[in-house]
Amino acid sequence: MEVDNGEGQVQVHLKTKQEHYAVPDVPYAIDGTVATTELNTFVNALLLSKGSSAVDFDFLVFDEYLRGRLCDHLREKAISFEDAIEIEYVERFPAPEPQDCLLHDDWVSAVKASGKWILTGCYDNTLNIWTNKGKHILTIPGHTAPIKAVDWISLDDDTGRFVSSSQDQTAMLWQWNVGANTVECVSVCKGHERGVDSVSVSPDGQRFATGSWDTMLKVWSAELEDAGEGTSKRMKESGVRTPKMTLQGHRESISAVQWMDATTLLTGSWDHTLKVWDLSLEGIKAEISTNKSIFDASYSKLNHLIVTASADKNLRLYDSRTNQGSVVRNTYLGHNAWVQTVMWSTTEEFLFVSGSYDSQNKLWDCRSPKAPLYDLLGHGEKVLDIDWSNPKYIVSGGSDNTVRVFKSRKALVENMDTK
Amino acid sequence: MAKKLTIKRKVKEPEPQKEVSDSPESSDNEEEEDLLQAVKDPGEDSSDDEGIDQEYQTDSSEDLEFESDGEGNFLSRKGAGGSSADDDDESAEEEDDDEDESDADAEKSGKSKDEETATTSKSSKKSQEKPTSSKNGGASVVPARDPSKVEYADSDTSDEEDIRNTVGNIPMHWYDEYKHIGYDWDAKKIIKPPKGDQIDDFLRKIEDPNFWRTVKDPLTGQEVFLTDADIALIKRINLGRIPNEEHDEYAPWIEWFTSEVEKMPIKNVPDHKRSFLPSGSEKKTVSRMVHALKMGWMKTTEEVEREKQEKRGPKFYMLWETDTSREQMRRIHDPVSAPKRDLPGHTESYNPPPEYLFDAKEAKEWHKLKDEPHKRKLHFMPQKFKSLREVPAYSRYLRERFLRCLDLYLCPRAKRVKLNIDAEYLIPKLPSPRDLQPFPTVESLVYRGHTDLVRSVSVEPKGEYLVSGSDDKTVKIWEIATGRCIRTIETEDVVRCVAWCPNAKLSIIAVATGSRLLLVNPKVGDKLLVRKTDDLLAEAPVLDVIESERIKTAVQWTTAEPADQEKGVRVVITHFKPIRQVTWHGRGDYLATVMPEGANRSALIHQLSKRRSQIPFSKSKGLIQCVLFHPVKPCFFVATQHNIRIYDLVKQELIKKLLTNSKWISGMSIHPKGDNLLVSTYDKKMLWFDLDLSTKPYQTMRLHRNAVRSVAFHLRYPLFASGSDDQAVIVSHGMVYNDLLQNPLIVPLKKLQTHEKREEFGVLDVNWHPVQPWVFSTGADCTIRLYT
Repeated sequence: MEVDNGEGQVQVHLKTKQEHYAVPDVPYAIDGTVATTELNTFVNALLLSKGSSAVDFDFLVFDEYLRGRLCDHLREKAISFEDAIEIEYVERFPAPEPQDCLLHDDWVSAVKASGKWILTGCYDNTLNIWTNKGKHILTIPGHTAPIKAVDWISLDDDTGRFVSSSQDQTAMLWQWNVGANTVECVSVCKGHERGVDSVSVSPDGQRFATGSWDTMLKVWSAELEDAGEGTSKRMKESGVRTPKMTLQGHRESISAVQWMDATTLLTGSWDHTLKVWDLSLEGIKAEISTNKSIFDASYSKLNHLIVTASADKNLRLYDSRTNQGSVVRNTYLGHNAWVQTVMWSTTEEFLFVSGSYDSQNKLWDCRSPKAPLYDLLGHGEKVLDIDWSNPKYIVSGGSDNTVRVFKSRKALVENMDTK
Repeated sequence: MAKKLTIKRKVKEPEPQKEVSDSPESSDNEEEEDLLQAVKDPGEDSSDDEGIDQEYQTDSSEDLEFESDGEGNFLSRKGAGGSSADDDDESAEEEDDDEDESDADAEKSGKSKDEETATTSKSSKKSQEKPTSSKNGGASVVPARDPSKVEYADSDTSDEEDIRNTVGNIPMHWYDEYKHIGYDWDAKKIIKPPKGDQIDDFLRKIEDPNFWRTVKDPLTGQEVFLTDADIALIKRINLGRIPNEEHDEYAPWIEWFTSEVEKMPIKNVPDHKRSFLPSGSEKKTVSRMVHALKMGWMKTTEEVEREKQEKRGPKFYMLWETDTSREQMRRIHDPVSAPKRDLPGHTESYNPPPEYLFDAKEAKEWHKLKDEPHKRKLHFMPQKFKSLREVPAYSRYLRERFLRCLDLYLCPRAKRVKLNIDAEYLIPKLPSPRDLQPFPTVESLVYRGHTDLVRSVSVEPKGEYLVSGSDDKTVKIWEIATGRCIRTIETEDVVRCVAWCPNAKLSIIAVATGSRLLLVNPKVGDKLLVRKTDDLLAEAPVLDVIESERIKTAVQWTTAEPADQEKGVRVVITHFKPIRQVTWHGRGDYLATVMPEGANRSALIHQLSKRRSQIPFSKSKGLIQCVLFHPVKPCFFVATQHNIRIYDLVKQELIKKLLTNSKWISGMSIHPKGDNLLVSTYDKKMLWFDLDLSTKPYQTMRLHRNAVRSVAFHLRYPLFASGSDDQAVIVSHGMVYNDLLQNPLIVPLKKLQTHEKREEFGVLDVNWHPVQPWVFSTGADCTIRLYT
């Protein structure tokens, strides 16, 4: 069994950032062939002396998850076996549990969760509001073509406001009275010349941006009363809203829009570029060229990285802060078809979820490029949109006419702790 | 006296010679004569020496007379010499009473024999010697013995001669009769110095120690003492040495001009231009010869040879002679090694291992093939002997030798040259596909929904939607990104072809269903555009041209029925035969349809804005398979079964005919720049035509294993795809360079084979996304597939 050559013992230091799982910092000599399971047993054995119950850990070697044998990992990274290796262990993120399946009449192309509500946009031109317990609250007709994107503007106990964009070339601003369970269309945002593919509301809830197939990025007011001077009274009365700002720069359809901060927008387009727009300058601040059409892009406020889903099976990690930001920081392999949607966790620094045409959702740790943490199975068809804006729930809509809700257990556990 | 005479004779000898032969020629000789005279004269200067001098003179004249009698050689000169001698005698008698004196002289001379001889020998020597220099009034007049030396001396000094006597270059004896000897610069006579008698001379001879070196200047008659240097010089000359004492005969040789041949040229001047230019005179000669050849005045060597041969008659050769000689040479230079024989094995051994020996069965078989021995595995039977001694003589020895000889005789004489070419070398160098990215590599999406084979696919110019036409009599519009079927339009017949209008300002799909061509507004994309298109198609323009019967019977334009209007159909163009293909012009106003059964009306061009149709061809040149508009030029490509014709639509004429050399063309696609045409054929080939290059294919690609149904160029990327009945879509890189000298680069990149086979059909149509490097293919398995 020459293959098993782990090249003998390796000296390791075990470290953790979670204080209550700390073990004494002494070098341990470990056989090179050990994998996560063995390390887990080992750490648990060390912790047992402290009297804590068994915990599952994941092990990070040089900022990457240990997935196979330690020796293979080291060899791949070209790390000398002679050095003392630092292994960081973190408590394993608990597997999300499938919680609910919300049945729709047609493909669900947009989902957004906020608080206890889930807003979905559907190919039958309707918006739906559900509770996270799986109860259907409201169906909102209004658009004349399939909904492509939705986003919440604000939500409190009484009223919720949200925006939806559709292939009928409009975005609509809605106000939902929770108590009365009535929805009113505040205004229709007209200006795009083709289907509006993406929408995103600014962090302060004052504005929202839309990206469309006509290659334009438009910024609109999200206020109830549009204070724009250019709008005529007739238009105000009819609830038609015109864009506050129109930004031209992409050559193809804009498929992803996200606010990075109050004045910075991130867009991803089919013309293979990611662009960062400065709204105060009304211009492009940075551009990242890739070699595939981008279907979705997500920016994390926690680690300032951008993860993209493009016209292939891979997810790619970019950093907009680097100067010529065309360097792929990391590539995540695992899906078997186009990845259509991706989103960072809002609470976990390293986690993001992705949904693909292979009818799978995957939960990734950005330090583990070879394999995802978990596969979230459930969809029977293409996944069109995924959302993790509510840390407790991972919500995804697909072309099997369902919305799947996965409960993220860790968040729940933490919530319980705080309670 | 005898002695004296002989000496004197010697002295006088050259004089007459010179006088007669040389005097007219050169003044040098005359001078020489004068000098000789001068040599004689000095004696006359002093009165003392007169006698002796006289003696010389008279003697000499006597000698001459005497001589002339003795020697017949000088007969002619005798007279002259004689006359002069007579003159001398006369003068001598007249002036100095020489007769008596001469006798006394003779006596005296006999007395002083030794001295005389010495002086005479000296003087005779002197007289023969030419004076090397006559500088300073003959201060050193040296008579020379050797004429060449004289000549050298004279030429050297004559210029600087100090002339006190102005008579010039004349024989001085002319003055012998006078008392003067010439004239000085003031035209006064130079009086001859008084001539002493012989006694004076004798006395002087005894008294004057320098007498022996005293000579007379013939020009002035003065006596001159020779200096020591003069004497030395004379001595040197007598010894035959170079007169100049300072001359070093053995000085080192200075080689002013080297005898060695220089390797490098001394001058580095390039050849003159003339040396490169054809010579004009040669040209003239050649043209003269050409003219002569033309006129038949001259014959070429070949003609001459031929004529000679004709004269000679047929020639017979020894058939084998040349061959053998050549063969001999070949054997030397290029020997053919004899075929090698197999090495003997164990069976041939005299003592083979037992397993090589025949068992009964083998032996029986061996014997059975007695009549046809060539069928035997072995031509002998292995035998075992105890020792080599017991091996008998080989019975077949002679026969095998003979066979071997036959083998060698029949072995090929020519050496077959084996080409050692690596197979790799023959494959052209192509770039790695990795470097040619992006191109579609995997199937990304499957558009399902049709229930019968999908014949045709076309993509919206913006790239958001897709239209497909199927045998299930429906047209479906799809959203590309998600694979969602947005709309299904039912038609009444099988949909053979769909084509999205390439003009992004219009929202029209042309659908060929049965014999009807439907112009459908898909109602997707920009709403404003949809509405504008509807408006455009709603009103039928008034026809200002009356259509001919030929067109009327072929085509009818009608606005769609309300039921059809509901589905999106706006205009229906009913043809008289089923339509097989429809294609748009790049600007979206014209579209062409093909009806294979339409005979001479099988290709039609429709104009949308005027709702007018045209039949471009009056005669059918074959069964039209497909047509195509040129992307930029007003050209129209018509593919019949075997050939492709290119017509100019403006001039209405045939531009070019492309020869495909294939049995049946299935489809065409033109490169967006318009210079390259790709043709697919049912006989498994794809042909790339470079329209600027030739009417024959630039390259023929046999990539598919079955009939190729469709080909398509990408509008932006250098890519093309082909779909075939072998269910494969093959994506190739087809780079056309702007540099006209560079041929297109064609590299097959990827075979995408995911379609399923249905009834011998595979992929029916391929089409590219207008912007992305994505290719769509439709198949008999009712699906449309997207490869990215």
